[in-house]
Amino acid sequence: MNAITVAMFVVILIVSLGITAWAARRTQTTSDFYAAGKGLTAAQNGFALAGDWCSAAAFLGFTGLTALYGMDGALYAVGPLVAFCTVLLLIAEPLRNTGTYTIGDVIMYRMRQPPALAAAIVSTVVINLAYLIPQMAGAGVLIKLLLGIPYNVSVMLVGCGMIIYVAAGGMLATSWVQIIKAVLMLGAGAVILFLALAGVGFDPLALFASAQEKAGPDFLLPGNLLKNPFDEVSLGLGYMLGLAGLPHVMTRFYTVPDATTARRSVIWVMFLAGAFFACTTIFGLAAVHYLGPQALRVGNPGGNLTLPLLAQHLGGGKNAIGGQLMLGFVSAVAVATILAVVAGLTLATSAAVANDFYVSLLKKGKVEERRQVVVARVTAVLVGIVATLLGILAEGVNVAVLVILAICIAASTNFPMLVLSLFWRRFNTGGVIGGMTLGLVSSVGLALIGPAYLGANALWPLVNPTVIALPLGVLGAVVGSLLAGRDVEHEKRFGEVMFRIQTGVRSSQS
Amino acid sequence: MVAEAKLKSAEALPDVWKDGVESAEFKALIDAKQRAIVPMIIIYIGGYMGLSILAGFGRGLLGIKVLGAVNLGFMLIAGNYLMSWLLGIVYARVSANRHDPLVKLVVDRAAARRRPQ
Repeated sequence: MNAITVAMFVVILIVSLGITAWAARRTQTTSDFYAAGKGLTAAQNGFALAGDWCSAAAFLGFTGLTALYGMDGALYAVGPLVAFCTVLLLIAEPLRNTGTYTIGDVIMYRMRQPPALAAAIVSTVVINLAYLIPQMAGAGVLIKLLLGIPYNVSVMLVGCGMIIYVAAGGMLATSWVQIIKAVLMLGAGAVILFLALAGVGFDPLALFASAQEKAGPDFLLPGNLLKNPFDEVSLGLGYMLGLAGLPHVMTRFYTVPDATTARRSVIWVMFLAGAFFACTTIFGLAAVHYLGPQALRVGNPGGNLTLPLLAQHLGGGKNAIGGQLMLGFVSAVAVATILAVVAGLTLATSAAVANDFYVSLLKKGKVEERRQVVVARVTAVLVGIVATLLGILAEGVNVAVLVILAICIAASTNFPMLVLSLFWRRFNTGGVIGGMTLGLVSSVGLALIGPAYLGANALWPLVNPTVIALPLGVLGAVVGSLLAGRDVEHEKRFGEVMFRIQTGVRSSQS
Repeated sequence: MVAEAKLKSAEALPDVWKDGVESAEFKALIDAKQRAIVPMIIIYIGGYMGLSILAGFGRGLLGIKVLGAVNLGFMLIAGNYLMSWLLGIVYARVSANRHDPLVKLVVDRAAARRRPQ
């Protein structure tokens, strides 16, 4: 066990628990609990978005994929930045203007019918769990590797951390945990980038040449990881439209005072996270240059140890104090990364269950404010316990595939549901249910009969079914709307929806 | 008057939308937004899906060496980073300079029309 990692990890824990205690005293109302009192600045929310969106798959995974598979790793890294173009141009401001705490709020405001809200709750909970379970399982594997703690204990430790952050400190604590994680991640990235480039005279082209020389002539070509061309297209499509349907990231736009601030926070995250994603490509090539392709494959099949190993090498190697310091730092940041992401997911899931299901659907909004906060806190504890148990059960499951599935479901269900709700006059409850059902069934169904779960016996060739599931989700939404027939009152009210999307002005009935 | 000047977007304005949504300034706002957003959507979807499709079907093309060992594929990936950042900056500027003042105009006029005489 690396004493430096443990020491840094303990410091991060103490700081984040201190913040939680501070945030807990400031969390009195539902607006505090779900949306940090809507008081974050654009820069704060931008950092928190970066902390929320960059999971361990981004922090460790992209570097590893580039080191093992060349260009496909770089393609994995650029998509999550382009995804924010969709969010910036179509989603962030309208979402902030129409909703209060959740994606379900937007759907309910537009449709005013409980079945539409129920559909939004189902897709939100399914997406969040599909995203949360691999994060928990990844945390277990990573902490076991880095600190030597057994898998089950590691998952439970992460579970306890996230439950305390969310149940006690709500969105305010979650946001600050994410901000700190983003600062640590960017700091680690800057140090590694400087050291990696210093070794080649600050000439990134030399890293490309060296990586190609060491890993073979095909290394810098696409298709080394994703053998089926349609999987490359699915990856692109899923990223481009899936982020806009991920509830735990989208709910961050409710933490700022208005749509203008929401927009400015997207610009922040595009530069913060985008710069880090670009660096992971350099890190991957640098790992091949400094460590050699063979050394990277030993005991590192998914590539998740590439970045810690590179950091150790750049710090001076295994036996140097600098090497141990760098390894400890990167490992501690990796754990902080996971904690920040699972906290965001737990909060978004609790909001869907407590706010959308219990308060809006079950009690028709007739719940006292104080009681709503109590329900939200209890729900956060329960969601956390369920996620921890599922994380323990998921040991050995291919976690990368589950993350892809979560993004695929988000792109095929929540994305069409949100965009059509905001911009299509004829879209109605029938469309919400049709789109949700077809999108969810096709993405989960096709993933289950694909190579990710059936291996060589797969009934269909793609790991990532977005290229089929997304058009089916849209088709279900359109056909469902048309089949449900026209509702003149509902379509007339779209004027109010349009006005509120653009101005944020609420009418008397909403 | 003072209260209206300080009008916050989150405040409820009963039925203001009925006139607001028909007003010339609201139509001007929608026009201005569409003029900015539609071309940007075409640019980034074209740029990024073009890259994704070439990654799947244009292996040879993306492998053409452009700068030392750096091939066309990596140049296009770098291009996608620049494209996203540029779009972000341009959209933020256009929104702040053109859209935001129009939004304020729409809300102010709609509120003024509703003010009890």
